[in-house]
Amino acid sequence: MRSLRLLVLLVFCLSAVFAASAQDEVTLKWWVETTDQGDLDHLQATLVEPFEEANPGIKLEVIGQESLQDVLRTALLGGAAPDILSTFGPAWNAEYIKGGFMAPLDSYSDLYGWQDKLVPWAYGTGTIDGTLYSIPLAFESIVMFYNQSVFEEHGWSVPTNRTELEAVAEACMELGINPFTYGNLNAVWANGHIISGYLNNYATQEELRAALTGEKQWTDEVFAEAIALLTDDIAEKGWWSGGLENYYQYEGADYWAELASGEAAMMITGTWGFNSAPEYFGETGMVWDLAPVPNMNTQPRPSVYPLAIGSTLAINAGSDHPNEAAMALDFLISNPDRVLEISSGFNYSEWLLPLAFSVDDFPDGVDERVQRFHAAFAEATGMGNYGYANWTFWPGPANTNLRVEIEGVWEGIVSIEDYLAAHQVVWDELFESGGTIPVP
Amino acid sequence: MTKVAPRQAAHWQVFKTHFVEPLGRWIYIIPLLIVNAVVIIIPSVSGILYAFTDWNGTTEANFIGLDNFGRLFQDAVFFRAFINNVTYTGIFLIVPIAVGLLGAYLLAGIRHGQVVYRLLYFIPYMFASVINTQIWRYLLHPKHGVGAFLADHGITFLDFAVFGRRSTALYGIVFVDGWHTWGFLVVLYLAAMTQVDKELYEVARLDGATRLQQFRHVTLPSIRPTLIFSMLIIFIGTTLVFDHVYILTGGGPAHASEVMSTYLYTQAFENFDVGYAASIGVILALWVSVPLSIFYVLRRRGWQI
Repeated sequence: MRSLRLLVLLVFCLSAVFAASAQDEVTLKWWVETTDQGDLDHLQATLVEPFEEANPGIKLEVIGQESLQDVLRTALLGGAAPDILSTFGPAWNAEYIKGGFMAPLDSYSDLYGWQDKLVPWAYGTGTIDGTLYSIPLAFESIVMFYNQSVFEEHGWSVPTNRTELEAVAEACMELGINPFTYGNLNAVWANGHIISGYLNNYATQEELRAALTGEKQWTDEVFAEAIALLTDDIAEKGWWSGGLENYYQYEGADYWAELASGEAAMMITGTWGFNSAPEYFGETGMVWDLAPVPNMNTQPRPSVYPLAIGSTLAINAGSDHPNEAAMALDFLISNPDRVLEISSGFNYSEWLLPLAFSVDDFPDGVDERVQRFHAAFAEATGMGNYGYANWTFWPGPANTNLRVEIEGVWEGIVSIEDYLAAHQVVWDELFESGGTIPVP
Repeated sequence: MTKVAPRQAAHWQVFKTHFVEPLGRWIYIIPLLIVNAVVIIIPSVSGILYAFTDWNGTTEANFIGLDNFGRLFQDAVFFRAFINNVTYTGIFLIVPIAVGLLGAYLLAGIRHGQVVYRLLYFIPYMFASVINTQIWRYLLHPKHGVGAFLADHGITFLDFAVFGRRSTALYGIVFVDGWHTWGFLVVLYLAAMTQVDKELYEVARLDGATRLQQFRHVTLPSIRPTLIFSMLIIFIGTTLVFDHVYILTGGGPAHASEVMSTYLYTQAFENFDVGYAASIGVILALWVSVPLSIFYVLRRRGWQI
């Protein structure tokens, strides 16, 4: 009888211990955009396991979600969203903040000193009305990838201004090479990349900033000229992908294959191309490189790098574990080496938080072109030669309008004046409702 | 033994007839009603209510009356999408049905191996729309598709991007969707044709009717309910079409292949204009209800359809 009592007591004690430990363990959920198993395994090894090791009692679940933004919004409305919210960037966050779904991060920023660790312009993009709501997960820019083998074969120099660009493009056309390649099949956002490339390298930084802050109208002559130039290049001259019809039907595999095979010479896209270029050029044996998008204006000026945040991190306002979620964010922000290790799995095109990196921070063996870009980006932006990418500084409705309705202009069914006037209407509504992004 | 007064027994009988027995029958369908309420009625009603608000999908919804519908009638893209839907449905009500009828009629005359033919016709319908669209996207790819191949051999009529040209994008999608659907129609019509009384054909033949006359005066009237049913499901299916358009063109170029459902999606998920998207949904529902109402009224009037 006594043994039985002892056994019952032992079972009770063990149950209590297990229950207590189960209660103590916190599980953080974090949905990410990639569903590639290789990427997820890399995140498990470089993020999840080191974090759990450094923070006993906190379990981190990183889960890949298809169509993350659609799923996330539904989950937020249904109260089933993860603790850490990944979005496509500041332009997407305004609506979530209005809805009260993102927790203010100022107290965590003060606690962990995030403002000193992130580069100022990137930190600013997460701030709405003076309150910090999101942390940039990856900084990006718009650049011009080109097939160096083709350029060398024909003795061309990489164009830095409009005159040089036209000379190279005309030479390409004569040889049956597409000057540029790109496409927007199932990816109308591709339109935005080349619009941004032209706007930022035709208008000045001041002119663009003025339009983004409401001090200048989008119907201004300088923007109309930039759009006219792009329309002429893509629709009239057929510089892209062998014609606009092909452009509408090309997806990533098509345009990367065209560039890597030498059927096209150049491509204006985001720096996430670091991840794709080695794969496609590896198959053809040709060599890729990149340069800033040439100055499109006849006025001499340095080419600029548009600032862009590809995705952001925020804490779900409904999370039961906001402090632990902040610890997870700080695990990245306070560990530059960790960030570089995670980002190395994406050839430094993703998960590269805008910390104050220098070129020397990159480990040995990093692609020289990637390092060169980061050095040039830091130098140019440090000198103020930066621009504004549409997916970061155009809030959702303005971004959609910019990139979707441009096709009407290219197809000749909407005038540039009407396109820009309609764009201004969208911005006017955004200024009225306070849905704009801070512009550095 | 308990005796029940005749009057009490009569009351019980009335109660049982009017309340207990009907309730007993209802009990069986209560689970279904609950499921219907949760997944159909509540979302439908809330969708209609949101159409009268400025809801952005995250914040509180404000009642704005008929503003969204006012916007719709001034929205050139919505108008284009509506016309595209009508065109889509119009083509679908003619071409796949005609091809389906022809295929079924020809198959009905085959005595051996009919199952194999049925299966062959039905295979495209078994493909998920994602696979179906990918097959045709590759076949009609401007660079390495059939058109480019033929162009290399001097035949150039298909040497263009079918889905990338404003004038052909919508028709290209209708073709792909039609290819996906017509095998289903063949099987549907064939099943109906096998039910037609053979003596009717015998009599028609004795009267000297040709094959075409037999088809027109015997087959078609006999399979009319199936034909009308297929037209109804085609009307509903093509009005709500989304996946083929979204995958092949995304509604472009420049809204040339935009349909109401893709426009609804853009408004709801890219522009955060959920109230406006809901108003598009209401118009979609009203448009679908037109043939359904006609069908219902005609049936009530005794039409054999």
